[in-house]
Amino acid sequence: MKYDKFFQLAKEAGIEEAELYIGQSYELSFSLFHSEVDNYSMNNGYVILARGLVNGKFGTATCDVFNNEKAEYLVNEIVANAAVIENEDPQIIFGGSPKYKKINTFNSSLAKVSVEEKMAALRELESAIRSYDKRIVEVSGVEYSESMSTTTLMNSKGLKLVQKSNYFVLVGAALASENGQTKSGYSILLDNDWSKVDVKKLAREVGEKTVSQLGGSPCASGKYKVVLAPSVVSSFMSALIDSASAEEVQKHSSFFEGKLNQKVASRKVTIEDKPLSRNVFARWFDDEGVATSNKAIIKNGVLETYLYNLTTAAKEGRESTGNSQRSGSKIFIAPTFLCLKPGKKSFEQLLEDVGNGVYITEVSGLHAGLNSQSGNFSLQSTGFLIENGKLGQPLDLITVAGNLLQLFADVSEVGSNVEVRPSGTSAPSVVVKKLNITGK
Amino acid sequence: MISKKLAIDVLNEALSTGADYAEIFYEDSTSASISIDNGKVETSSSTSICGVGLRLLKENQCIYGYTNDLSKKGLLTLASSLSKSLHGDRLITVTKLDMIRAANRNPVTNSYRNISRQEKIALIKEGTDYIASLNNPKIVRYSGFFADNHRYVALFNSKGKWFDRHSEFGRLAYSVVAADETGFETGFVGPGAQQDISYFHTKVNPVECAKDAVRVALQNLGAKECPSGKMPVIIGNGWGGVLFHESCGHPLEASAVAKGLSCFTGKEGDYIASPLVSAVDDSTMPQAWGSIDIDDEGNLGTKRQLIKDGKLTDFMIDDLNGRRMNREGNGACRRQNYRYIPTSRMSNTYIENGKSTKEEIIKATKLGLYTVGFNGGSVDPSTGEFNFGCSEAYIVRDGKICEPVKGATLIGKGFEILKNIDMVGNDLDLGQGMCGASSGSIRTNVGQPTIRVSEVIVGGRGGELK
Repeated sequence: MKYDKFFQLAKEAGIEEAELYIGQSYELSFSLFHSEVDNYSMNNGYVILARGLVNGKFGTATCDVFNNEKAEYLVNEIVANAAVIENEDPQIIFGGSPKYKKINTFNSSLAKVSVEEKMAALRELESAIRSYDKRIVEVSGVEYSESMSTTTLMNSKGLKLVQKSNYFVLVGAALASENGQTKSGYSILLDNDWSKVDVKKLAREVGEKTVSQLGGSPCASGKYKVVLAPSVVSSFMSALIDSASAEEVQKHSSFFEGKLNQKVASRKVTIEDKPLSRNVFARWFDDEGVATSNKAIIKNGVLETYLYNLTTAAKEGRESTGNSQRSGSKIFIAPTFLCLKPGKKSFEQLLEDVGNGVYITEVSGLHAGLNSQSGNFSLQSTGFLIENGKLGQPLDLITVAGNLLQLFADVSEVGSNVEVRPSGTSAPSVVVKKLNITGK
Repeated sequence: MISKKLAIDVLNEALSTGADYAEIFYEDSTSASISIDNGKVETSSSTSICGVGLRLLKENQCIYGYTNDLSKKGLLTLASSLSKSLHGDRLITVTKLDMIRAANRNPVTNSYRNISRQEKIALIKEGTDYIASLNNPKIVRYSGFFADNHRYVALFNSKGKWFDRHSEFGRLAYSVVAADETGFETGFVGPGAQQDISYFHTKVNPVECAKDAVRVALQNLGAKECPSGKMPVIIGNGWGGVLFHESCGHPLEASAVAKGLSCFTGKEGDYIASPLVSAVDDSTMPQAWGSIDIDDEGNLGTKRQLIKDGKLTDFMIDDLNGRRMNREGNGACRRQNYRYIPTSRMSNTYIENGKSTKEEIIKATKLGLYTVGFNGGSVDPSTGEFNFGCSEAYIVRDGKICEPVKGATLIGKGFEILKNIDMVGNDLDLGQGMCGASSGSIRTNVGQPTIRVSEVIVGGRGGELK
């Protein structure tokens, strides 16, 4: 077999246990500008993440072509890298979980939809956005992309796991202008079921998001009762759960350290990791080969568990939660499909409950304005005033500032308007008792 | 490596259906990184990437594909399948390839590939050992990091040109997490250069870098929350250039300008900034973090005067977007690697020196904010709305730097901020960053002297500025 050479060389080089993580992908994407194709790309990608244990230490190496020469490269680098590791944490190549609950993440019907049909949907999307409102001055881009990938994990303990998946993304973006003010907006659809495509609905979302911001101005600075849009909740929730990584906890850099089984958020807040959901985000084994499982991380405000990989679990003499992930040469701990459990109230009811306050639709610059280590954030935002239980004037050039722990402690209501985000999260709107808003 | 003969065959296959330009971008790069966490080497990894990106242009259309199958058959198959997207007659036949002659301002001298892991570890440990020696209970976690990258690219295009080049980069970084009963704070310092390891032994002091990361984390631990509202803001030199990078640099990239998606489209020759402001994007600075001799489509790197005394004079332009602007590419076409479609990007971008001293600027400020350290930011080039986060800031009262504050984010519209710059210092410095956009994550220098903006919206939790 193709990869035998690697395992054979690894053994000869004294590598005790070895592992390959192989990602193969085919990607197709195209975009239109002014009804003409402006980008068309077809890519065959390949990535091999290799690691091995030498004297109980991991060495890692990565490449994107596999042949005898590269097999040698991987083995040599693993040996040399392992030799300098000083960390004494337990390092493990996994023999396999007793049981895997396989989820199908490949929809074979997507390949049967012709490129012409996908292109036609894109043309329709572009013209529907353009004709949504006369204030739409430009459709800045419409793009279709699809990816078909196979992930294979194999190791010297005889474990071999393969997951095949596919998805497509349809994006529309527009510019609207009125009275010298320009606003931009976009919307994304991600799925692997072509029958879910509703071009008119997507165009309406793009149009609405863009045009509704026109006439925006800052509100008075102060503390406001706030409703957060599902996408904003998703961003904050993901940043909060960064600190649930057992590695952060064990290294004393998490604000969740020592908080297990304690109240860390409002009782309205239940956050789950659901890798076994029936959608494109599903993963039935993690990047170390451990079977994944659905679990609550925070249940009714109480911290139920940290997230573990094999090393952090071994340090505490427990089992991995199946949350090991790899990106390039990086190995880290993260949730797969993070969900905030919805409540019963509609979005309109949340606005009515709030009465007067601010509705935040978008936060920007998370990498710069949100520190997930401290939980503090101060972010450029857009939204609307909430006046007498209804959406009022659009707001622009405002910032929202606070602390993640405080924000989730201050959640007074959770809505029913769940949105699944392309980032692999799912959340409804929430009401936050108070947040600092800077405007004028 | 691809032979010239094979390159000609692949280009001609790609051009068979009427493309007016074709280009092969071959890359064979390696990188290595070592991280030390709480004093111990935790990870050491090596990466090799090798592949080909093939780009075809036809008027305003770009067709792109990449592959790791570098055999003759693999490349010809890619060329043939991409060419099927077009349906015209051949316009161009490539018969020979001449080498592009360019200065080598960024030579690889003592390759990182010959530097032992032990030497790099010893370098990182100069800083981490210092942090350990502090025995400060408030420092709960500290890490050090060294990464180096060797990039080899070869480009062949239907203009009958080819070039190949090696380049190397190194970066040393420290990050510190400090905690007390009030919570957690972080500090980060990470200098980089397009130079060999001797740069880190002679021009960088690892202990000073580590000291600085510790200082910022501890200082923020005790700092008050930043006040919010509109206020005068003094933006420190070096990394403060993130402001210009976000608010003005990105909107001056042809990828936004050409399609009318930039707030600066059609403004060439207009006064878009205060007359005190002149700014450049210079990819010719020898051995600087963002420098390139030849860009990723074969044009020579240049120095572009973006703004002269407040007037918009130039853009970062790639050949494809240049077609919509009736301009040729000016050496600004870049990509992270062969997997990305290249487009116009920044290199070393900075506001040029003015006449004031830093002390004069501070002295002239009655009440405002002085920002020194930054986390980066983002911008929407079409609306000009930008944000950037500050990691180190102080209140200025009656011309004096007073107490530190934390959690400041500056927001605004770039075209308004540029006009509100009312003092420009004479202490130009550069800071090394990674810039992410459609063609991937690339190395860029940001930079400026100390400047003052008369009014910026500052977001924070500290209430009104007093």
